[in-house]
Amino acid sequence: MATADQIPVTVLTGFLGSGKTTVLNHLLRQPELGGVVAIINEFGEVALDHLLVESSEDRLALLDNGCICCSVREDLIETLADLASRCADGTIPPFHRVLVETTGLADPVPVLHTLMTAPDVLSRYRIDGVVATVDAVNGAHTLAAHGEAVRQIAVADRLLVTKIDLAAEDALARLDAQLVAINPVATRTKVQNGIVDPAKVLDAGLFDPAARSADVVRWFDLASQAANSPHGDHHCEGEACGHHSHHAHDAGVSSYSLVIDEPIQREALARWLDYVAALRGEDLLRFKAIVHVAEQPDAPIVVHGVQHVFHPPITLAGWPSADRRSRLVFIVRGIPRRIIENTLCKFAAVSRAAIQRSAA
Amino acid sequence: MNRTFADTVFRNGRIYTSNRGQPWATCAAVKAGRFIAVGEERDVAALIGEGTATVDLGGRMAMPGIVDIHNHIMMGGQADLYELRFSNADSIPRIAETLHKAASAAAPGAWIVGGQFGNNLLNEMNNAESCALLDAACLGHPVVLRDDTYHNRWASSAALRLAGVAADTADPTDGEIGRDLKSGTLTGIMIEAASGLVERALAASGHYTAEMDRAAVARSISVLNAYGVTAFIDAASMQPIMAALKGLDDRGELTAWAVCAMPVVEPGFMFGKAGEELFALREDYRGAHVKPDYVKVFLDGVPGAKTAAFHEPYVTDPVRGCCFRGATMLTVPDLIRWLGRCEKLGLAAKIHCAGDAAVTQALDAIDVVRSFNGPTHLIHQIAHASYIAPDDIKRFAELGVAADLSPIIWYPTIFLEAHKAAMGEERAQRFWPNRDLKEAGALMAGGSDWPVIPIPDPWQGIEGMVTRQNPTGDFPGKSLWAEQALDLKTVIDIYTIDAARAAGLGQSIGSIEVGKSADLIVLDQMIFDIPPDQLADTRVEMTFFEGCKVYERGA
Repeated sequence: MATADQIPVTVLTGFLGSGKTTVLNHLLRQPELGGVVAIINEFGEVALDHLLVESSEDRLALLDNGCICCSVREDLIETLADLASRCADGTIPPFHRVLVETTGLADPVPVLHTLMTAPDVLSRYRIDGVVATVDAVNGAHTLAAHGEAVRQIAVADRLLVTKIDLAAEDALARLDAQLVAINPVATRTKVQNGIVDPAKVLDAGLFDPAARSADVVRWFDLASQAANSPHGDHHCEGEACGHHSHHAHDAGVSSYSLVIDEPIQREALARWLDYVAALRGEDLLRFKAIVHVAEQPDAPIVVHGVQHVFHPPITLAGWPSADRRSRLVFIVRGIPRRIIENTLCKFAAVSRAAIQRSAA
Repeated sequence: MNRTFADTVFRNGRIYTSNRGQPWATCAAVKAGRFIAVGEERDVAALIGEGTATVDLGGRMAMPGIVDIHNHIMMGGQADLYELRFSNADSIPRIAETLHKAASAAAPGAWIVGGQFGNNLLNEMNNAESCALLDAACLGHPVVLRDDTYHNRWASSAALRLAGVAADTADPTDGEIGRDLKSGTLTGIMIEAASGLVERALAASGHYTAEMDRAAVARSISVLNAYGVTAFIDAASMQPIMAALKGLDDRGELTAWAVCAMPVVEPGFMFGKAGEELFALREDYRGAHVKPDYVKVFLDGVPGAKTAAFHEPYVTDPVRGCCFRGATMLTVPDLIRWLGRCEKLGLAAKIHCAGDAAVTQALDAIDVVRSFNGPTHLIHQIAHASYIAPDDIKRFAELGVAADLSPIIWYPTIFLEAHKAAMGEERAQRFWPNRDLKEAGALMAGGSDWPVIPIPDPWQGIEGMVTRQNPTGDFPGKSLWAEQALDLKTVIDIYTIDAARAAGLGQSIGSIEVGKSADLIVLDQMIFDIPPDQLADTRVEMTFFEGCKVYERGA
């Protein structure tokens, strides 16, 4: 499904006031953004005027660093199709990357579902990763008060903690703990005045069949660690406590990882994924896995799920590290780890002994 | 101290309570429709005040009102009140004669609905000559006649016109519009899904008013009350049925607990909204006694027509050849999706599984759902749980699935003869493993599937479960799998408390217990003291629903 010709799409999300626009303002000025299309909510929010080379009547602007800005239409599928055809007929310069800003209040999940399933989109684009901004000052409160904010963190691959200069040390530590509890496998980067290295935003490469990017290797490693060692002093779910899942009490969101040291049959895995999507999709905020498939031991597959929608499995050319065990990461709302383990054994033909637990 | 007096006290009875903790009593007191005391004279004496009505049971037997786990509550009453009745043994000329009489008397332009003609006539009716004969008898009235399977219709030319069916109308999916082989003209025969075209036109005509629907349901319920039934599940609740039940309930005229099972897809024999569209309306129809808390899923058809899904093939025939096993209408993943969705909505499922492969598939799907969702208070049911692979028997209890025992054919009947023809004698006889289910701890519930069997008399079912012989005297001396007989106490529980549990009402009805609805019936014989082959002769003397008498024999 995924090929090298597909244009990577980075999704930038974050709650209202979390500094998303400031980050965007900074990014759009960077030379690295040449050849990038930024699909943003409102031109007005981002002060583009002095960056403009030209702008046309239909909400499209070319910046002096070669970045193309375009305001999002009602329909992302149309916007992306339109960009591709404009590029093909030469009305806009070629681009090799897309950055999509989601609105602050919005649940980012529908945008991801579009990117994961719309055939027109899948044929030309691939998700690169999801980046979420979190405000160091108000983040904790926002997470407690707004389910959307929790979902934004849960689906993210990378977190940008903003306004760190305005927050006290201990508040920062508490927020950090909260973020780990919701999403232990996302990288966390501290940001001041929106100044962030574009490499921390772009090119996560999570859906990339080449699979050599640092983030990919990193989250696979994290997955194994999270499955095998308790993470600091975070609270664990009562009955799963021995399994070291992380639980953000306020949001009812928890996360855990499984390492499976045995090949999994492709068809059995597909069946299990189908069942979990149908029955617990609503509560499966984010699922990532690298799987050792019995039928193709040298070419692992990567599976991404956001709620009930799964991206078509991505076959990697090879293993990103020497570790060839399957690693599954779950960020869930109220799905006990025991249910995941039991159903994997029952319906994905995984033997219980192959599911690794921490040493007693 | 304030003294509470009962509204009604039953005394001097032999009351079987279906309550394991206190199976027998002589007295019971009722206030505001609930039992407030169950026991002996001394337990109720203090509750008798000036305004208390006492019912002297005169030593007769009483028991909880019966729960019918599966019927179609509108059909019986509708047929009684509004339909032109003729026998399924009637010939075409005979039907035409009946029709002509009715058409002569009908108001101009009025629809005439009739039934049921024998489905063996379908071929004979499907030509221009028969059509002309029947159509002439209709005198221009729109007429729809149903066959005895409820799956097929004959429609007059006026009815076809109103339904927008013309010679060039294409057959619908899963249906066929009858055409004369020689001329290609319409014959009025509408097979399976084609029936919907005419039935929808009938529904759109306003022929059945809400008032008529209420009267039909009220008629059916009065029939049930006379047999001692005070609760039921309507096994395919479409909007008009729920509207009628709710309408009666709002008027204080509903004399039974009504649980509605809303179809997930439009059934072959009823037409209108189904699935999500219908579920969305459930709160509009909920009443004090109306509980739209079930859905109905059809997984297969019936063994006699070889439409039920089996593990082993049917007997070879020229049409299907060898190795035909029937098929289910949903895949396991589809069924899982439906069940998952229903559990989210707090709906339990009644799943029609006539063949053993359908039963396996339903249990497989429920197994998946339980594994992912964990325990639930919802009780899913497998309807017509009759042909069951031995390995599946224990799964009912393991998965908390109830066995809906209906229709009443667990003894030799004409149905069994059709099954023998379809799958061979030996397999056909392994029908209704009731004892095996019981011993494996399954929750079991008795039902009628009225009008599939013509009268919803639970006493025939009760006798048959004990004797495994036909209580009407048909098939004398013959038993169906006699080892599967159950003892009477178990059977009474299957028709009362266990059925109440299966219907999701185990906390409020099904036994004579303090706090439960005062649904009580008085019998003309002490059923535990008579030979089992006299059980079907039991007559209900009185039926009380929430403490009020809703039926009295001979009254």
